[in-house]
This record gives sequence, structure tokens and C-alpha cells, in this order.
Amino acid sequence: MLAEDFNLPKQTHDIFAVMARGNFISSNGSKDGMNRLYDIINNPENFERLQAYFNVIRYNIERGNNYFYFSKLHEPNSELEKKLERFERYIDIIDLFASMDNKITIGSRFRPSEIAEECNANVRLKQKLQKIPLYRSETLHNKVREICDLMSRDSYLELEDEKTESYKVLDAYTYLLDVINSIAIYEESDNSDANTINYN
Amino acid sequence: MALQVNVNDILTQLYSQRGVVEFLFANRENVTVNELLNRNDISQDQYQRLKSLDLVYEYESIVSLNDAVVAMFEDFMEIGEVTPGFINDYINELNRYIRFYQDAREMRFLRSIKKYLKRINGALTREIIKLQKNVDDTYKNESNYRIKLQKLEAYREKRDTIIDFIKKTSDVVEQTRALFSLTNDSELYGIVQSLKVSLIENLDYLIEIQTDITDFINKIQFQLDVYKKAQRLKEIKDHGTLHFKTGFKEVVNNVNTLKYNGHKTPKTKIAVDTLYTDDGHVLCKRIAEKYKLTRLMIRGIADKMSSNFKDKGLEQQIKLDTEKLVERFLTQKKNNLFEYLIEYKFPKAIGTVTFEERLSLFVEIAMEYQTKLDFKYRLNYFDYLDNEQKKKRLGYTLILPIEDKPKSKKEKV
Repeated sequence: MLAEDFNLPKQTHDIFAVMARGNFISSNGSKDGMNRLYDIINNPENFERLQAYFNVIRYNIERGNNYFYFSKLHEPNSELEKKLERFERYIDIIDLFASMDNKITIGSRFRPSEIAEECNANVRLKQKLQKIPLYRSETLHNKVREICDLMSRDSYLELEDEKTESYKVLDAYTYLLDVINSIAIYEESDNSDANTINYN
Repeated sequence: MALQVNVNDILTQLYSQRGVVEFLFANRENVTVNELLNRNDISQDQYQRLKSLDLVYEYESIVSLNDAVVAMFEDFMEIGEVTPGFINDYINELNRYIRFYQDAREMRFLRSIKKYLKRINGALTREIIKLQKNVDDTYKNESNYRIKLQKLEAYREKRDTIIDFIKKTSDVVEQTRALFSLTNDSELYGIVQSLKVSLIENLDYLIEIQTDITDFINKIQFQLDVYKKAQRLKEIKDHGTLHFKTGFKEVVNNVNTLKYNGHKTPKTKIAVDTLYTDDGHVLCKRIAEKYKLTRLMIRGIADKMSSNFKDKGLEQQIKLDTEKLVERFLTQKKNNLFEYLIEYKFPKAIGTVTFEERLSLFVEIAMEYQTKLDFKYRLNYFDYLDNEQKKKRLGYTLILPIEDKPKSKKEKV
């Protein structure tokens, strides 16, 4: 069987290149034609073909809210330690984002200096930022920068303008929120309503 | 407007400064005068002319296009803010003209009725498209979540307004059905029909937009709720009980993204054959320089082949043959060069050598081995049949191998 027989879109290679790295394709990303790739996958016909095609090599396209990513079929998940560590870090970061005056949500644009400035003015935020582990940078600004850099490497953010250093929050950010939302908090019954949040 | 203007002036100005107009339209909010004049496609004079026609405004050194021009572009491109209000004006106008027409059945009122019906139809569709675009854009690109929520709520209201207008319009159309059928005007009939169809269609779109808006608002609400939860989790984490009091471990364990499961980007080895190509050599060289390996640096890149390398190869082949050929020719005494070449039995590997080829070989040898040959400066003649089986005669110089006492043989066939 030839690759042409699948009748795949010609961007298949690009799609694979992004997603096989473990990155997300978000609908509001603009770098490297990401939104275009999103549209291609989002086309139901293409989606079925791509899914069938990637399934052959045991990749599965997972669909989220305005974003796509790969998972591996029939493969035990590994590296629990590392995963836990990473997600603990995400909780720190999202907690910081959540505590900002101007909350950072999907589609938000911000500059690291803005966050650093706000952290500087607010003791609580400052403490939060300083306590986020794994960063060697000393100044608040550099720390925020590193966080942004990390988040954009994980394709949750996008460096929209290098000159002004402005970042944009991509749709893939929902993924993190989804994960956090699915964590159940035991014991306290008064907080269980958080689990029944309704969204579609 | 300060000056008497006409359509031609405006169009000419807009056209001749189209680069600037485009630039201003794209950067509507923040172009300063200096920035604009620094562009090399507009001079001070040209800028003044635009200003004198009121096509651009200047306020505290910020330049902007005339609102009317911007609105025109936005209308055509179906972008910009949703402004359903003027549909109401159209409906009022329509009603007014219908009343006029009821009083006095005059064609001019009918024309206006048609005009407004068409306008309402177009405006409704355009506003709905704009609404759809703006809702989507607001959700995806508005950075401040509070503003985002407010904007979405505002769009919800606008949607309701548009629905009202659709109802009003269809009421008007219903009430005047009898009147319209009286006119017996087929064009009017067509307009009303298409209006009815698009009203129904537009209602469908609006319902869809409504679900979108609700969806987006829910999503934002969801994000805020998750933020609250993230803060609680952080609190629990700071108490060091994250792994025990929550389902954190289980949830993270089930995370199935590639990135968090230690999958690295698929890496492939370089094919050995690639290393033998020129690209591969460049690669090797770079690595060799990096690690100071001289072994890898020896082999150089082959020169670029000339486009006619194939022909050259052939020529060389024949040349190799000619050397031997000449040697053989020199050792014999029976024939002159021409005859020798014509009769020579070339090895089979070369294939059949045509008459023309033998002829060019003759010329080539004559030129290259001048010193070894004895030129007689006499003409001999050779008869042959050409491709069309016609008899032809060819004259050639008699050439013999150099001898102590050269003998010329004159032969005529």
C-alpha cells in the first residue's frame, strides 16, 4: 500500500513533526502555521484519515477543546516520578497565574515584565514566585521569563512578538486545566462541588 | 468638509496613496505622524493633500483614517464591530415608504421599498457574520478575562437585538403581503422571497451563535473555577499532603501525552549512503573540524559537472581510439587517410560508425596530427550515395603518412 492511498493532507509531515515531539496543536497558535495545521486536522475527513494512518504506527490523535495531541496506543505509562514532579510544578505555575490580578486565561497576552512587576508589588505573589523550585535565575523578571520559556516549550504558550517579549496563551492550556480539574480532593465535603463543575 | 470634493478626487487620492491607506487601515490605533512620514511612499505634500480632503485625521500627533473610509472597508470585508442599530432605521424607513405607497400608489415609493428590503437583507447577513467572527475572536484573543466576559455578554445582547429585528422584518413582510401581491411586480416578489429565506437561515445562525456564546462563557467560568481549585491544590501541596489527600497521583499516572511519558522526538540514524554524497561530506567535514579528525577531511568534494559532460566523455573515447588509429595508419602504406578511414573496420564495441562520423574523424585527425602526416594539397574525389540515395561526389585532400620519399597515389573511382 502506498502512502498516497491514504489520501493524506500534504501537511501530514508537519503535523507529525509537531505532535511527535509531544507538543500540542492549538487553534489559536500562529507560529509556523499552527492554526492552519489545526484546521487541517479538524476537518472530519482529514481527521479520520490521519487517525487511521497514525494508528498504524501506534500513535493516537487525542482531541481536546480546540487542540490536538498524540498519545501512544497500548503502551504502559512510565516515568511516574518525573510526571509527578512536572505536574507539581504546573500546579505552582497555574496557582501563580491564578493569583494574578489580571488572570491569565486562554487567549491572554502578557509580557513577563508585567507579571514580574505585579509580583514585585504584591508580597504574596512574590513569595509564590520565589518558592517555585528548579529555577536558578535570581531576579523576579528572569524567573518569570524562565517560566514562560518552559511553558512555551511545552506548547502551552507562544512567544508572539520577540521584540516586545509578549506571550499568548494557547488553547492547549485547557489541557492543564482539565488535568487539574480531574484531581479529586478527598475528605472535605464542602469542596466537592469543584468536581461537578459543568463545562462543555 | 472643508473643501468641495467629488468622488473622483477622493478615489484618486485613495488610489495614489493606497500603500499608506492600507498601512493606516491595518494599524488603526497607533500610527504617529513621524512614523507615517518616515515611510518612503508618502511625502509631506502628499500627506497634506490627504489631510485637506479629510481622508486622514491627526489628533495629538496620532494619525488615523477617516471613520467613513474605515467603515466602508469594514463593511466590504465584513469585519469590525457589530452595529445592528441601523437595521432598525432601515425598518422604520421601510415602514414609512410602505405607508406612502398605501396612500399613493406611485412607482417611486415602490422603488424605495425594494431598496430598503434589499438593504435589510444584506445588513442582517453581514451583521450576523460579523457577530460570529467577533464572538470567536473575543474568546480566543481578548487578553483580559473580565473584559472578555463583558464583551461576550454584550454580544449576547446584540444577538437578541438582531433576533428582534428579524421578527420585526418578517412581521412587516407578512402584513404587507396583500399589498405586495397587488403590485404584481415580479422583482419585488423575488426580493421578498429571498428575504424570507435568508431570515429563516439567519435565525438558525443566531441560534448557533447563541450556543457558542454560552459555551465560551462557560469555558471562561470553568477556567476561573479551575483556578480556584489550583489554588486549593497548591495549599494542600504546601502542607505536603498532595499525594495523600488528593487523587493527584492517579490522575497524573493516567496522563497519556507523549511528552510526559518520556517519549523523545523520534531520532533516526543517518543512512551510510548519505555520507558518501556531497552533502554527507560537508557534514563529515564539519564534524571532523569539531573533533579535529584529519582522517575525515581528506576526501574533497567533486567539482561540479559541466552540463555537456556526457558529450565530452564520448569525444574522449574517440580520441583514445584515434591515437591508435593514427598509429596504425602510419604503419601501412596502401591507402591514403581518407580511404583508410572509410574502409577501417572499427571494433564492434563502438557500434556502427556512420559515413558522417568517419568524415569528422578525418577532419579531426588531419588537424590534430598535422606534423605526422604528409599533406599533398591535391584533391581526390569520392562518390557515394546519400541518405536519399542520390549520387554525390566529395572532394578530399590527399593525406599520406610521412615517408622518406613520399609517394602519392592518385586514385579515381
